[in-house]
Amino acid sequence: MIAAIASRAATPLWLRHNAGVAGVIVLIGVVSVTGASVSDRFLTLANLLNVCEQTTDLALVSIGQTLTILAGGIDLSVGSLISLASCLTSGLINGNPDRVVPVATAVLLLGSFVGLLNAGLVVALRVHPLIVTLGMGAILQGVTLLYALGPVGRVPRGFSFLAYGRIADVPVGATLAVVLCGLVALLLRYLPLGRQVYALGDDANSARLVGLRRGRILMLVYGCSGFCCAATGLYLAARFGVGQPYTGVNYTLASITPVVLGGTLLSGGRGGVVGTLCGAFLISLLNNLLNFMDVSKHYQLVAQALIIILAVSIYVERRGME
Amino acid sequence: MSGSAEFATSAAASWSVRAFLGRYGVALALPALLALGGLLSPSFVSAGNLSNLLLQFAPLAIVAIGQSFVMIVRGLDLSVASMMATAAVIATSFSGADHDVAGILAVTALVALAVGSLNGVLVTKRRVSPFLATLVTMILLQGLRFAYTQGAPSGNVPPALRVLGSARLGGIPYNSLVLLGVAVVLGIVLHRSAFGRRIFIVGGNPLTARLFGIRVDLITIACYVISSALAALAGLILSGYVGLVDNWVGQGYELDSIVACVVGRVSLSGGRGSILGALTGAAVIVVIANEVLLLGVPIQAQMIIKGVVIVAAAALYSRRETSSG
Repeated sequence: MIAAIASRAATPLWLRHNAGVAGVIVLIGVVSVTGASVSDRFLTLANLLNVCEQTTDLALVSIGQTLTILAGGIDLSVGSLISLASCLTSGLINGNPDRVVPVATAVLLLGSFVGLLNAGLVVALRVHPLIVTLGMGAILQGVTLLYALGPVGRVPRGFSFLAYGRIADVPVGATLAVVLCGLVALLLRYLPLGRQVYALGDDANSARLVGLRRGRILMLVYGCSGFCCAATGLYLAARFGVGQPYTGVNYTLASITPVVLGGTLLSGGRGGVVGTLCGAFLISLLNNLLNFMDVSKHYQLVAQALIIILAVSIYVERRGME
Repeated sequence: MSGSAEFATSAAASWSVRAFLGRYGVALALPALLALGGLLSPSFVSAGNLSNLLLQFAPLAIVAIGQSFVMIVRGLDLSVASMMATAAVIATSFSGADHDVAGILAVTALVALAVGSLNGVLVTKRRVSPFLATLVTMILLQGLRFAYTQGAPSGNVPPALRVLGSARLGGIPYNSLVLLGVAVVLGIVLHRSAFGRRIFIVGGNPLTARLFGIRVDLITIACYVISSALAALAGLILSGYVGLVDNWVGQGYELDSIVACVVGRVSLSGGRGSILGALTGAAVIVVIANEVLLLGVPIQAQMIIKGVVIVAAAALYSRRETSSG
């Protein structure tokens, strides 16, 4: 009896804490049902695995973006960093299989370092992350273009396994993205520094008063974001077989959509990476559905915008003007 | 509104040297940049090049003025570039003759009103963060534009718009005259009218503004509409400059206009900024880009310089603000 009451009381609480995830799952359900009525092939395992495969890049960037937004900031340098990472990957490997491991490691380190640099500048210069990462984005795009004005280098055949490889029909890249998401979710939930990310994003002033180290927290989130961008760059180099200087340009703003759809507040402090992963999946699923319905690519943008408006209308940011 | 009148006098009276430097310090950087440009490359100060500078300056400056209105009320408008491209598509959707200019202006104004209102309503009534709200309208406009043009816009820009966008009157481009008109009118509105005072109060402290009896939501929405309208105007001018249309007219202007405002000391956290600041910031960007070009530095370096300038400018201001209070 008591257990029943407790569970009844607990359900709304759980829902309240995970309204974002619940909302996005409902939307995924709606799209799935619509899809099933449109085509028999929509809800097949093969199609859904394809959708997962196509979600990989967006999921990877958005995981990092979620962290910066949770901490009350934003990372607008992601697009340029992805471009730089993809160019460096294929340019430095240049078809030589022996160089894959060292170059990939170096690129991941470089990405994390750029993230740390963002955090350092935010703290040292006392400038809003929006401005710092915007400036960093311009600088990185310039550097990328100095390195390569067009497609550069190539990756060995085996490297494309990252993008197209399947183990027992399960796409490798997407699995890695899910694993990364799981790790970050655990980090946010169980590490003190992870909890502090929420504290800082919820109320920076109180976080300072209780003695949280803003610098460390920011280094963690921007470092992770940089790492995720580098990973996306590697993935895109693997997918296209070559690095391109503008390959990441659309991800800067696109990476924010899944975060918002997943119920993370843009003002920080509430949300999580699992919602983001679902949000990224929802976008790919929606595009897939529109493809099935033979809707032109142009209307897919309209649909995306409308679904964001729908989502933000469901969970209004309840902070307002305090 | 005796309250806003008092605010007006107290702000207008602060004409000490320090306040002047604080407010217009970046304006002093501009002559320095121009002189440096003249020293480094003689062709920089030629009448032809200066006239070209003005021609490129006007569209960005117009967008930056709109952006500053939004930033003063604690907002941000990412949809300006998309609005510009949409205006350009509208400009070529008619027959391409001069008698359609009135129609073009009317349709563009309506679309700008709708976009600005949508931004403003999302921000005020739905309390969506400005970044997200304007991002959504950006995507929405882009999608509608693509759907309307099927990805391949075509058509001609009416000759009158071409004159507006690229012709000159005795060396002075027509678009600069438009800019001058816009800047003077909106400068008076922002800095000398009760409405302008209210904008600053809303940006400085929305709660106080509400207690004063100011209609915060309405003022905020008005600022977003002003921004969209100016972006649409800049889009028409730019389409006249380019002469043909694609889906990406104005690409990059959303970030450039924000950079211009930050360099021109319009505060990202609201409540502070000026038309002159936005103009100066835009001028600094255009001049730097032009100098980089004339000096033969690789064009890619422009982006690096732009990135360094924005971070450096923001760092400079944040230091001054924190040290003075």
